[in-house]
Amino acid sequence: MYQYDQVDKTIVSERVAQFRDQVQRHLAGELSAADLQPLRLRNGLYMQIHAHMLRVSIPYGMLKAEQMRTLAEIARKYDRGYGHFTTRQNIQFNWPELADVPDILEDLSKVEMHAIQTSGNCIRNISSDQYAGVAIDEIADPRPYCEILRQWSTLHPEFYWLPRKFKIAVTGASNDRAAVQFHDIGLEIIKNEQNELGFRVYVGGGLGRTPIIGKVIKEFLPREDILSYCEAILRVYNLHGRRDNKNKARIKILVKAMGIDAFRDAVEADWENFKDGELKLHDTDFETMQKFFPLPAYEDLSAGDARVEKWLNLDNRFADWYLNNTTAHRQAGYRIVNVSLKEHGIAPGDATDEQMDAMADIAEQYSFGEIRVTHEQNLVLVDVRESDLLEVWKALDAERLATPNIGSVNDMICCPGLDFCSLANATSIDIAKQINEKFDDFSELYDIGEVKLKMSGCMNACGHHHVGHIGVLGVDKKGEEWYQLTVGGDASNQAALGTHLGPAIAKDKVSDAISDILEVYREQRDDSERLVDTFRRVGIEPFKERVYQEVA
Amino acid sequence: MATTVANRAIKARAKASPDRIQDNIQNDRYVKAGAIHTNDILHVAETEELSSNDLPGGNVSVPLSLWLEEKEAILARGGVVAVQIAADEAPADIADDLDRIDMIVLPFVNFVDGRSYSHAHKLRLRHGYAGEIRAVGDVNFDQLSFLTRVGVDAFELREGANHETALRAFNEFSEVYQPAADDGRLIFSRRRQVH
Repeated sequence: MYQYDQVDKTIVSERVAQFRDQVQRHLAGELSAADLQPLRLRNGLYMQIHAHMLRVSIPYGMLKAEQMRTLAEIARKYDRGYGHFTTRQNIQFNWPELADVPDILEDLSKVEMHAIQTSGNCIRNISSDQYAGVAIDEIADPRPYCEILRQWSTLHPEFYWLPRKFKIAVTGASNDRAAVQFHDIGLEIIKNEQNELGFRVYVGGGLGRTPIIGKVIKEFLPREDILSYCEAILRVYNLHGRRDNKNKARIKILVKAMGIDAFRDAVEADWENFKDGELKLHDTDFETMQKFFPLPAYEDLSAGDARVEKWLNLDNRFADWYLNNTTAHRQAGYRIVNVSLKEHGIAPGDATDEQMDAMADIAEQYSFGEIRVTHEQNLVLVDVRESDLLEVWKALDAERLATPNIGSVNDMICCPGLDFCSLANATSIDIAKQINEKFDDFSELYDIGEVKLKMSGCMNACGHHHVGHIGVLGVDKKGEEWYQLTVGGDASNQAALGTHLGPAIAKDKVSDAISDILEVYREQRDDSERLVDTFRRVGIEPFKERVYQEVA
Repeated sequence: MATTVANRAIKARAKASPDRIQDNIQNDRYVKAGAIHTNDILHVAETEELSSNDLPGGNVSVPLSLWLEEKEAILARGGVVAVQIAADEAPADIADDLDRIDMIVLPFVNFVDGRSYSHAHKLRLRHGYAGEIRAVGDVNFDQLSFLTRVGVDAFELREGANHETALRAFNEFSEVYQPAADDGRLIFSRRRQVH
């Protein structure tokens, strides 16, 4: 895991001092609320419906146990005992007082954390694959590149006042778990014919009001050019992105308006001027950075564990958890353990201070003291010995962190919605509860298999509904909450936007409609087809017919 | 739910600002090199019929369009030669004239518009401009350090700003991660020498 040196420490602590000064100037009446707004946003501090919300950065979703304990402590000391993990692998606190925020940031800085650029029209937290470094399908570990990009983009003086927010994601695996084609810049690590590492670079993808799949701007960018090329993209965007309408200000709109070829020409023309300058990275830079992400000290184990085998037959709850929440590891004798933050009745992604502390303890005892946050709003212990799985399961289960529903309909992505967010049109958390109640039979869930259900409370699409196998979008119809459904979206390599099912559905009928969709799937599926596969084969019509037949 | 109404106002944002300054800007002070100085330059806003004959006596900065049309007349006035590059204009339009210009003025209509940061960067690094680059208009304490990094070296603060307080803004950060138009270097190239 990356460790700050003196430069990192200085920047983060000076940033805390800067924000403290801004808050003091504001409280002293020297800095108006309007002028403070963009400054506090760039430190992750929003004004929501009821209170301020602070979004803390978790770079590429990696946490050390002690950092998790600090998050727990912040939830206890400054908030109401819980935090909300987000789709960009960050955490949000919903109830901090403005005057406390400098102290919170100072507490964070002591464990090498911050909230820099987690909001505002600037380069946001770099997101990545939650299985980075351990995935079986990995070409190269994306974390060194993420950290290099994090440092370059932090307090970048030229790109701090962009037309709109800017999100970068990196994947190093052949199965994209970071949704890179739906980011402003998406970076996919690949090797060229000479076996050299570089990136396929996507630009102008995104969700929100105008969902667009990213276009390839560069088929192969040598890895040493990554900073200069990003800088050229950012400069063209900073100068030419629309600033007259915030709904049209993302880079995807610029790329669409110019066309990818003209956009590429503009970027390459700018890049030509400085591509071999100071920003060019050296092999040693990558090697130095990779040393921060060493392979853990794995024991030499053989695959399989007799006790686990035995308990798989003895205890259905353990077996369900093992099958759904754990995945294969590269290293023999180890497994990846997904920790579900989708317990029934709880807002998806929420964790209490006690759960966070427990995660820190479990990670220290069983997984080299490291925890990952996923963009699907769960946590991961990536390096658990198979022989420890039973103990880990018991420890997680005691904290209600072992709901065996990873990848199922119940493992939904969900934005905070109208309960917290000042932008939302509709509730999403209530709908999550409704769905959980409808699908409370786990054997049925397992039969249905992988369904990515994604839900947003408004068209800003924080819940990524466009790329859900089933997408749910809350809309406001004359003051009432209604929900539009889509089917067949996909955030993986086979990137696709969901197809509209039909007219919006009343709030109390959403889980019925989802149930209909899944019923059609179960009737029509072939062999090992997932919902999204069946949809690709049969189209939207059969789903539409069933859902509206019953609604009408 | 009734509570949702409370902060609806937060959603309302200022309408999009124009790209160019609408009125002349005249400040009596400016900040440069860590000190407050007396100012004597008037920044003339662009109007359709503006010509060099309309310019008041004394030092002025002129819109780029006027410079391109009447650069000889402007040079003949004597005094400080200062040209504005608005957010929606480009340093490239004036690249060949830069050695005759004492001061490039970057007018900020709204401080959240970051285009002029790229203008300053290009003026310094692409065009090698060594004269003064001055930010005027909606320029505040909290923009000063990044503006400095991209090559702006003089600042006329927004009306009502506390100049003495603003001097503090230049010392907020003692380290940087990336190269810009100042002497900041890429952090990885610095670490290369250590390792």
